[in-house]
Amino acid sequence: MAPETGPLRGSLRRDRIFTWAVVAVFGLILLRLFTMQVLQGSRYRELSEENRIRVEVLTAPRGEIRDRKGRLLADSVPSFTVTLDPFDLAYQDAPAELDSTIVRLAEILGEDPGDLKEKVKRERRRSFTPIRLKRNVDLAAVAIVTEHSAWLPGVDVESEPLRRYPFGPMGSHLLGYVGEISDKELEDGDHDNYLRGDLIGRMGIERQYETWLRGVDGKRFVEVNALGRKAELLGDKRPILPKRGADLTLSIDLDLQRAAEDAFAPGQRGAVVAIDPRTGEVLAMASRPNYNPNEFSNGISQKRWDELSEGGNYPLFNRAVQATYPPGSTIKPLVALCGLASGVIAPSTTFREACDGAFQFGRRAFRCWNPNGHGVQAMRGAIAQSCDVYFYQLGIRLGLDRLAGFMKELGMSERSGIDVPQERRGLFPDAAWYDKRFGAGRWSRGLILNLSIGQGEMSVTPVKLAQVTAMLADGGTLRQPRVVQSIARDGVPVRFRAANADTISRHLPFAEAQLARVREAMEAVMYDPHGTGSLARIEGVRVAGKTGTAQNSQGEDHALFVCFAPAEAPEISIAVLVENAGHGGSEAAPVAQKVMQAYFHPAEAESARVAAEAAAALAPRSDATASGSGRG
Amino acid sequence: MATSKLAGEIDRPLLIASILLALIGIVFVYSATASAIMEAKQGLYLKQLIWLGIALVGAGAVAAVPYRIYEGKSAYLLYGIGLAMLVLTIFIGHVGLGAQRWLGWGPVKFQPSELAKVATVLVLATVLADRKTDLSKVRSLVKPCLLAAIPFALVLKQPDLGTSVSFLVILITMLFWGGLPPLYLFLLLTPVINVVLSFFLPLWILFAAILAFVLYRSRLRLMPILLVVALNLVVGVVTPQVWNHLEPYQRQRVTTFLDPNGDPYGAGYQIIQSKIAIGSGQVWGKGLMHGTQKGLAFLPEQHTDFIFSVVGEEAGFLGAGLVTVLYLTLIGRGIKIAHHARNRFASLLAIGMTGIFLYHILVNLFMTLGLAPVTGLPLPLLSYGGTSLLTSFLQIGLIQNVAMRWREY
Repeated sequence: MAPETGPLRGSLRRDRIFTWAVVAVFGLILLRLFTMQVLQGSRYRELSEENRIRVEVLTAPRGEIRDRKGRLLADSVPSFTVTLDPFDLAYQDAPAELDSTIVRLAEILGEDPGDLKEKVKRERRRSFTPIRLKRNVDLAAVAIVTEHSAWLPGVDVESEPLRRYPFGPMGSHLLGYVGEISDKELEDGDHDNYLRGDLIGRMGIERQYETWLRGVDGKRFVEVNALGRKAELLGDKRPILPKRGADLTLSIDLDLQRAAEDAFAPGQRGAVVAIDPRTGEVLAMASRPNYNPNEFSNGISQKRWDELSEGGNYPLFNRAVQATYPPGSTIKPLVALCGLASGVIAPSTTFREACDGAFQFGRRAFRCWNPNGHGVQAMRGAIAQSCDVYFYQLGIRLGLDRLAGFMKELGMSERSGIDVPQERRGLFPDAAWYDKRFGAGRWSRGLILNLSIGQGEMSVTPVKLAQVTAMLADGGTLRQPRVVQSIARDGVPVRFRAANADTISRHLPFAEAQLARVREAMEAVMYDPHGTGSLARIEGVRVAGKTGTAQNSQGEDHALFVCFAPAEAPEISIAVLVENAGHGGSEAAPVAQKVMQAYFHPAEAESARVAAEAAAALAPRSDATASGSGRG
Repeated sequence: MATSKLAGEIDRPLLIASILLALIGIVFVYSATASAIMEAKQGLYLKQLIWLGIALVGAGAVAAVPYRIYEGKSAYLLYGIGLAMLVLTIFIGHVGLGAQRWLGWGPVKFQPSELAKVATVLVLATVLADRKTDLSKVRSLVKPCLLAAIPFALVLKQPDLGTSVSFLVILITMLFWGGLPPLYLFLLLTPVINVVLSFFLPLWILFAAILAFVLYRSRLRLMPILLVVALNLVVGVVTPQVWNHLEPYQRQRVTTFLDPNGDPYGAGYQIIQSKIAIGSGQVWGKGLMHGTQKGLAFLPEQHTDFIFSVVGEEAGFLGAGLVTVLYLTLIGRGIKIAHHARNRFASLLAIGMTGIFLYHILVNLFMTLGLAPVTGLPLPLLSYGGTSLLTSFLQIGLIQNVAMRWREY
């Protein structure tokens, strides 16, 4: 039936070329089948009947995190993890055996057998891989497990890197912690290269820089024979060695971080952010209460997790970036700058109403914090003594639109863009916002009075407050705060695109003279006889600052303080918030004072003492892990 | 022509091979899902049986109507629908294995790429059968290349490298069959070769030398030569540059993309298990339902992508060899039918459909035999999957359509 000439042009017998090519490839497949099934069949049969091929993941250690002076903040140390394979041959015919193995194992590991059974039951449904029963198992237990392996079928000891934070709770919110990846994450499509039981960065730098810190896991194929002995599988696959993650150097200074955290009394809640205004580098970022990230590295129990996440103080909450507060009087230098920049006031301008402790607006009296009043004040005195009546009148004269426009320039309703995750936006409301909230025109013009003294609907995170303070200190440049200074892989620095780098740092067009007037007023806060910030003075360095006491409907006032120093050429700017503590001048200013003290007058002996203390506290643990190489 | 006479022209070897393969598939889907560990999937073989019924009816339907109705406007219409669905998948598709490949209505999910493949063959056959298309002219290549490149790019975006490459395979196969001079075929492939070789400098230099020689000896005009050289230079120089400037996590994405199952527990382990399963089947196999290769239970896709491993283990060299020969029969008949068809469109239609089968069969078999990376493409006719089975039989129906009407011009 074949026609001599097909429909296709050309002199080539394309059908023949095609057919022979196909026959050749299928011949190759048949040859491969023949080799595998007939020639090597018995070897494969052996593998399938007597042995198990298993892949062992060689977990890559996470990269190290160091402070700006090279001091270690987080590293990885070898540790042992005990695993159980519920699909071990021994349990195929006797499933009940599994329970008795778990009971025996629970005793060795000092765990509750019920918990372990529950864990095995839960995990075996999800995966065929051996289940990690306990991480960071001590050497004695490891010895018992390996000696009694015959009574513990399917139980194995794996060496895994353990995340360690040498300074414990120090900087816990900034660093974050690591935890096992959740089922939800495993299925969301963004974590394709994670396996069940893998650790993933949670919170802080651990989370933000997860892709850098995490190494590339290696693997090795082993043959487990009926006696439970492992042998490297020959021929088929060589082990793939793990690659360590990249190391981060932070701009944080450990001494400042410690000073910031130690400045809080036990039980106090609050946050401190210190920034180098010249660069935007974060020197310290503290949030209290804190937690110990080492607890998470071992695998935290549900009970402990509940304690941390549901307790009244929310220790896991990073107050420096996740919480917003009314800024109180710390907003006043900005409101004054708005007045100068818009030409509404000159530095010498005074208002009609002298401060007699209150200001009458319509039918309502707005009080000044000082019931005795401040008399007639120009800008400098009004900032130094934090006169509310001055700012009420300045606010009225500015009007909401102008003030909101100014705050928008500063990004007060935006994030600072710091490379720490979960940052919350602050809020500086404008007319549109009030229209939406209360209905068009259904809100009082009196709202501007509250906004002018940093109360009312506005709110800000401590990091944002530190950012705008640094802007005042550094001639009007709003810089994006940065925590990670450099990244190195195997000691070689690598280029990296900082997280959130799309938030642009920008220079704001303020006249230097106007900024200088505001800065002088902030110096007056520190050094005028009636200034409110005297408790943050330090020896030999001029400081400029502003206190704030934010009313809070839920309880005691929040104490706030912002400052920078040296006033003439600022190198550090700080924002402090202490929740429900009372006056900013008395409660927050001393915290900033301690941080500045550590910066300008580093008391070496003091930090050496604390370091020795920390080292002593860690000593027993590092003994256990250091001698771990000698396992059987 | 009378119906009975048409029916007499049905290609029997193709008919028998395709139905046999589907039946063998159902038997092994049953076997693969019978173990206790697959509890949730034990009814799947029944579902597959019902789908086979639907697929046979569908194949009969597409074979019954004269193939001319697939040519021209209807081809473009189908192609347009296929592309629209691919775009839709990118936005609202179901995520599976980290890629969006599926569209669904209620319980029925299907991959629009399946439809797009068939539609692409139809439009390419239409274009290449057109008298105005002269494959010895470079200009004529633009349209076919574009028609294949669009679905290629859309599927690549999902991302599904394995399936997207099938559009290129269709294009190459049909251009070759349509009479494209081998030289052009080589030049068309050079950028692809270039990308791969650009990472190995010595090989790349060798390749560049060969290309230069071929171009020098060819009697092409200056413009096409410059085009090929420019394209190759750009690709060759840009690829390593781009690669070196990627962040590690971006590289990781590319690597994961090239090897979707390349997680530490995935590819290597699956391939070892698959090889052990097949090898341990030896000559006669362990018998149906007696696959003791316990490790195989660790292959989540043993009733889909790794069904051939189950065949190899339980039916041995005889079974796996038989399946291989049946596939060879299928491809061989496809080529023969395409060769005999007097109508150019019909011939190209048949070869295009055959090309789709060939690509999928080879990629899957090479994967299960440990000769290629894990790509996640099912084995046509054998693997579990209702819409996949339906599409396969629609393709068979189209090939049979050509077989029945080979006399027509």
